[in-house]
Order: sequence, then C-alpha cells, then structure tokens
Amino acid sequence: MKHYIFKRLALLFPLLLGITLVTFAITKALPGDPVYSIVGERASPEVIEKIRKELGTERGIIRQYIGYVSLLLKGEMGRSYYTNRRVLDDILAKLPNTFKLAAGAMLIAVPIGILLGFITAIKKNTLVDRIISGLSVLGMSVPVFWSGLILMLFFSLELKLLPPSGTGDIRYLLLPAVTLSLPAIATLVRVTRVTVLDIANKPFVRTARAKGIGKFPLNTVHIMKNALIPVVTVIGLEFGSYLNGAVLTETIFGWDGLGRFTMEGILKRDYPVIMGCIITGTTVFVLVNLTVDIVYYFIDPRVRMHGTDR
Amino acid sequence: MKLNRLRHFFIFFASFSFLTSCYSCSPVNRPDGYIYLRLNSNPTTLDPAFIVDVAGGNISSKLFNGLVKLDENLSIVPDIAESWEIEDNGKTYIFHLKHGVFFTNNQEVTSSDFKYSFKRILSPQNTSPNTWVLDKISGAKDYLNGRAEDLAGFEIIDKYTFRIRLERPFIPFLNLLAMTAAYVVPQEEVERRGADFSSSPVGTGPFMLGAWKHNNEIVLARNNNYFMDKAKVDGIIYRIIPEDLTAVTEFELGNLDVIDIPASVYAKYRKSSKWQNLIESAEGLNTYYLGFNCSRPPFDNSNLRKAAAFAIDRKKILETFYEKRGVPASGPVPDTLRKWDPPDTYEYNPEKARRIVEEEWMRRKDVEFYITSDREVADMAEIIQFYLEKAGFEIKIIQLEWSAYKSALNKGEADMFWMSWWADYPDPENFLFPLFHSSNHGSSGNRTQYTNREVDSFINKGQASRDLQERNRYYMQAEKIIAKESPCIFFWHKKHFALRQPYLKDYRIYPIHNMDKGLEVFF
Repeated sequence: MKHYIFKRLALLFPLLLGITLVTFAITKALPGDPVYSIVGERASPEVIEKIRKELGTERGIIRQYIGYVSLLLKGEMGRSYYTNRRVLDDILAKLPNTFKLAAGAMLIAVPIGILLGFITAIKKNTLVDRIISGLSVLGMSVPVFWSGLILMLFFSLELKLLPPSGTGDIRYLLLPAVTLSLPAIATLVRVTRVTVLDIANKPFVRTARAKGIGKFPLNTVHIMKNALIPVVTVIGLEFGSYLNGAVLTETIFGWDGLGRFTMEGILKRDYPVIMGCIITGTTVFVLVNLTVDIVYYFIDPRVRMHGTDR
Repeated sequence: MKLNRLRHFFIFFASFSFLTSCYSCSPVNRPDGYIYLRLNSNPTTLDPAFIVDVAGGNISSKLFNGLVKLDENLSIVPDIAESWEIEDNGKTYIFHLKHGVFFTNNQEVTSSDFKYSFKRILSPQNTSPNTWVLDKISGAKDYLNGRAEDLAGFEIIDKYTFRIRLERPFIPFLNLLAMTAAYVVPQEEVERRGADFSSSPVGTGPFMLGAWKHNNEIVLARNNNYFMDKAKVDGIIYRIIPEDLTAVTEFELGNLDVIDIPASVYAKYRKSSKWQNLIESAEGLNTYYLGFNCSRPPFDNSNLRKAAAFAIDRKKILETFYEKRGVPASGPVPDTLRKWDPPDTYEYNPEKARRIVEEEWMRRKDVEFYITSDREVADMAEIIQFYLEKAGFEIKIIQLEWSAYKSALNKGEADMFWMSWWADYPDPENFLFPLFHSSNHGSSGNRTQYTNREVDSFINKGQASRDLQERNRYYMQAEKIIAKESPCIFFWHKKHFALRQPYLKDYRIYPIHNMDKGLEVFF
C-alpha cells in the first residue's frame, strides 16, 4: 500500500509538468492581452511596451515557460500582474474557504444522497421512488445560479434567517453549501439507486436472503457496503471538482474561494494566477483520487487482495 | 410512529432555528457609526501611482489628498495647497502648501513629498500606467525615458513652496492635479513597504485603511487628525459583492446603506412607493457611443457613418430599452461641461439611411460589430443590428470578454464597436483630446482611428488658451466637425442612480468617482 501511494505521488510531478505545459500554451493562445487591462483607458504605446517588458510577456513563449517552471521549482508561483500580490499567498488564503464550502456541500449531499438513493431502490416503482427520482432529475438540471438565488430570497430576504452573502462562520456557509449540494445529492441518488438495484439482484444477496438473514443486516452489510464502491467514486469526483472552486456559487454568495479567484484571473488574463490555480487544482484532484483509492482498499476486499501486487 | 417523525422534524427545526437565531437583519458585529457600501469587485491596488479602476479611485480619494480638488460645482479648490500662482502665460505654477498637514504616520507633508510622489509616477523604474497625468511637466519625458537624473520642471523653493514648469501651456493642468495619480504619498513608508504599499497604503486623507480582507471587505476608519473638517461617520465598510441581485438583497435587509441601482431592478425601485423617494441621482460625466473604424472600409467613408446615424432611432432606444436612465447626447461633450450650443445631430430618418447605403458603393457590406460580454450591451447590440440591417448593412456581432475586446479595439480590428468614455476631470478637453486627436490612436483613447488635422489644431489651441471664451470657441469648433463627420454615433450621457436607506442623511453622488471624500454623509 505504501509503495502504491508513493508511486502515485511520484507520478504527480510529470503530470503537473504536462498540465503546466498545456495550460501555458492554451492561455497564451487565448485572444486578449493583460497589459491593456492593466493600463486603463489612456496609456501611450511606450508605457504599454514598458509594462510588457516588466511582465516579461514580450519574450518568446518557450523562454516564458522555462522561466515559469524554474520559478515553480523554487516553490514560487509569481505575483499577480494586477495586485502585485504573491499568487501562492492568495491561493493559500482562499484554499481553506474552498475546502470549507466543498466539505460543507459534501456533508449535506453524501448522507442525504445515499439515503434517498437507497430508499428509491428498495421502494422501486412506488410513488416514493417516482417523487424522489423526479426531484433528482430536477436537482441535476436546475442551474446553481437559479437555485442559489431562490434559496437566498427565501431564507435571507423572506425568513431573515441566514445572511445572503459573505465569507465567514457556519451561518455564511449554509446557503452556498446547500446550493452546491443540490446537484451532488441528485447525482448520488441516481448512482446509489442504480447500484443498489444491481447488487440486490446478485446471487450472493439471494443466497443471504435464502439463509434467512434479517432485512436490516441484509440491506446494510450485504447490499449497501457493496454498493458503496461506485458511490465513493462519484463522491471523490464531486468533492475534487468542488475543491477546484465553484465559480457561480462563490459569485452569488460572495464567498471568497478559489473558483472566483480563478475566474477573475482568466477574465483579466492574469497568467500567474491562472497557472497557480490550475496547478493547485490538479494537485488537489490527484490527492482526492488517491484518497478515494485508499478508501477502496478498506471497503473492497478485492482491492486489498491485489494490493500487494500493485 | 407518526409522533416519532413529528418529534424528529421538530428537533431538526429547533436546532436549525437555534443555529441561525443569533442572526438578525444586520451584519454580524456591525460597528456603530460605520456606513456600509458595496463594491462589485476587489480593487486591484490602493497605490495612487497604479490605480486605473473606479473602485480603487473611489477608495483612494478617502485615503489620500492632492494639491487641489474639485468642489460640487466642478471648480478647482485648494486641497493640500493653500494657494497657487500661475505665471508665464500658463506655463509655470507656484504652489504654497498648508502648514501642519500630516500623513497618518505623523510625518508632515512638505514640498519634497510632492516631488517624490510626482517623480514616482514618472520614474523609469516604476511602470505606472498614469504617466500621462504628469508628463506635461518640463523634463518629464527625459526623466521617464531615463535620459535625465531629475525631474527638471519641479523645483523646490522651500519646505512649503515649489514651482512646476510645463513643457508648454496646458490649461487643464490643475484638473490633472486633482486626479488620483497626483495624490501625495510618504516616501519613507513607500520605500519601507515596497510592493505591499498597494495593499497597506498610508496617506493624509479623512480616512485610513483599517483592514482589507481581499474579495470580502475593506474597512476604512476615520482619521481624527485630518487637516480639514473631519468625516461625520466613524468609518466606511466596503463589502465586495460581485452579484447585483445579492447586493440588492443585502440592501433590502439593511446590510448595505447605499447601492448603485442595477439596471435589472431600476424600474422596480422607480415604481416602489417605499423606495422611489430614496433614489438619489446625478448627471454623469460620460458619453456612450457607437464607434466606427475610420481607417478602413466601409467606415472610412463618412457618408456611410452618417447613414448609420440616420438609421438608428436613438431617442426611442433611450426611452424604452434604456428606461430613460440617461440624457440624449448630441456630441461627445456632456451638457454639464458644454458652454456653447450643442452641435446639429443626424435625426432618425430610415429612408435617407437606406438611400445613402444604396448610393454609396460598398466593397464589403458586412460589418463586424464588436461588443463585450455584458448582458445589457449584448441586448443593446441586437437593437442596433436590427436598425442597421433595415438600412441595408449586414451586421455580424462579435462578442468578446473585456481583455480580448480592448486588445482587438486597440489594434483596430473592429469595424464598429460599443464603448463609453468617463471623465477623468471635468473639462471638455477630456472628451475631445483622447477620443479624437490623431496622436491618440489605439490604446491612448482614439479607438476609431479618427484623423482630422483641423480638429487636432482646434484641440491644441484650446488646450493652450487661457481665455475661457476663446477656449470654448475652439472646443465648439472641434465638436462641430466631429458631430458632422460622425466617427461615432453619440447615444447618451448615462445618469448615476443610487438608492439609500432612509436613516442615511446627506448622501451625495458625484459625477467623478474620486470627488467623494465621504465627509458629508451621516446617520
């Protein structure tokens, strides 16, 4: 297991190098020039040239890339073209907020999603199944900018229970976390339902039933535990993507997370910010996937059996 | 069983209410005496040398002072300068500073601080985007290009007196000195803080920076040692809320004391008996226009530009789509600044427009119309497209986000584009020179690439003339030619609308963002 984790972590470096190369090429290929946003509405061509030189954007793309990678190797991500603040400091300041939001959304989505998915599976083709399944389709299709605003209007403006925006304690977290959890709940309901139905028809469950095992141990130990593997994969993917920031939710609720920071960087062509955010996002995603693999190790004996070979 | 479920529901609801019960309408720990305002984006910097955005200019005006400032009538009045003399036919300015003006680090402001601040803008080491504000000073260009050690035109006479010589007379110079870039900064603090001065600035203003939680809020606390009348509120808290509807919700809950009214809710507040009397409005020093690329076909042909002007019913668009949130523009100069009769405009005449398009031979009939990704602009572009296609043009709308849009415009890639120009200072020159002088093609402001030697000459003469009537005559002549040749179709001057809470008194809207020092408002 240790060897496996080490190998996965070692693979992270070539992966990051590849990601930096691709991202660098794409951002440079985009139309737009950060200098024009920096200088405002009235700047002479000489000033523009001077700023371009200072930023180093007039150099060849390969030289710029090599410069950036050597900066990364020193543990630096450069400074934002606009604020002149260290990108690494900004990312480290925003990462905990993004983590709070992602964890909050998953804490809401995982128990509710799995429970409802399980209920729809065991109540298959009943009214309850149809209602929950219908709601899950709605949850997947309603965009967060709509559901977020509706939740805000209801809980903040009408009931005056929660603050509409800001970054702070649990009161500020609840609305964005619930908003973000809605599509995740919907996905989990559908995945859990399909998997549970699949497992429930497997021969080993039939055997367990024939042996007269009670409903509760059958549902939990035999069906649910086995159904968890694909569910954990989905949880990992959702969590990983939320950790990369949820642009719309963060914008609506004024939550100071990585999503908004990345988006602003992209819109202003703030290359150091874009690169820093993507490298952080990739690392986080790889680490989350690694954690998911470790979780498999504990919930799936087959993985454990083959684990020594890997 | 049912009772059990009911109990669970009750417990859930009770815990939820408990969790949220401490929250009331006001923000958590709202300090007394502070007013809450909204910013829609995080200012990029609070260092006057580098500010180009409205948010930054707005806040820095409360943290810093310059030699002069604008009063409510848009006239120049003393700020840190006690008085000044203008000599040498407008080429030399002698400033006398007030005694006892202190930075918030308790250092007194002297002539050398101003020299340091001005040199800092022009220094070849600092890449300030605002060099144009001070490059009229004699020797500025040499200093800027590293050809001179010192700024020759800035001469310190004594601790409180200095002389500024210009390269040539430039009458709006005092207006330039009221701008953000000309604020005074303390040398010692700037050098000590280095790049961090932009996020922890020290100035002389009526407020000082308390805290800046990036992307969240900026807290300004009253400077009790301010050298003029102190602010009536204890401080200002700017909350950074990017989404308009979120800001409206915060305002309605009383968590914000003032908001600029977003276009999407303007009609709602105008009709609301609760809010309509709390709307504050002011004429804006801006011009919204449809620009043509005059350097290449089809719009190098002024007749086709006129045809486009005849084709669009601007009055109707202003009254319907734009909900009368502006006043019709007859030329580039806003009515507030125009001291002469407005130029003639091309009134809506679709027949005439069609006739001109038919008569004029066009190599290309399709026109690339560049716009930003803003929702309101996109809607507006479709209306313009409708009118122009009726006249015979073929319009292809190209939507780009801001950075790419500006880049394309500066390079002259668009045939036609939607833009606005906001005053840096209240002088007609600010709407004529950057937008239409041939020395400013591209990034300097003239994005239509318009060139007319006669217009150049009138603007140059206006800039140098000390006689107000004569100056206005030159500007009038320049504006008349521009309106006739129509390098742009001028749509309107947008008004400012803000909504305030009933308990807020004497809240004023200023036409230029850095005029508001936050001194009058109180609870």
